[in-house]
Amino acid sequence: MIPLQVVAIVLVGLGGLAVVAARDPLRQALVLGVYGLTLVILFVVLQAPDVALSELVVSTVAFPFILFTALAKMRDRE
Amino acid sequence: MSFLPYALAAWLFFVGLYGIVTSRHLVHLVVCLGVMQSSTYVLLLAIGYRTGKKAPIFTSGVPTKVGAVDPVVQALTLTDVVVSVVASALILALVIEIWKRSGKLCRCSAPPCSAQPAISCPHGSTTSSRLRSRQP
Repeated sequence: MIPLQVVAIVLVGLGGLAVVAARDPLRQALVLGVYGLTLVILFVVLQAPDVALSELVVSTVAFPFILFTALAKMRDRE
Repeated sequence: MSFLPYALAAWLFFVGLYGIVTSRHLVHLVVCLGVMQSSTYVLLLAIGYRTGKKAPIFTSGVPTKVGAVDPVVQALTLTDVVVSVVASALILALVIEIWKRSGKLCRCSAPPCSAQPAISCPHGSTTSSRLRSRQP
């Protein structure tokens, strides 16, 4: 257990709490991107670089894009 | 490998579950489900991790002397990452359908959304009445 792993684990724990604590969905999508980046750090430290690459694409591009699309679709018909 | 990654997986699971239970907004609920799903990534990678071993990438075609962490659970995690975002997209499509039919996004069913000013609910009952009047 190297110290970098402990730091990454603590970061991911705090990030998950921050995502849940953000109540506004638009703000929560941004916090989710940062949380995905901390997960990427954890995966690299856990010797899984391929998972880290796919998580990088999914959590910082794909999932916020889907969330923003859904929120925009529900906003413009108000 | 110490217990810390397993504790992190349990922590993420219960934090996401808390978010789902206390959620007032359906999109917020979907994102909390994503946090819950990310606990499974951490659990799978923690199972396959071996202290001191390298990533399972062999550029020369043969395993190195140091050894590698378990690549099977990493492949499982890769699938999990992709499937979870697809599942979230599907649930978000269901959320959009719910919003189209009921006109609101919050889970306060008994009192109307406008009766609770403390909870932010941008789509009040006015939208639903407008939608309802549009229907024949």
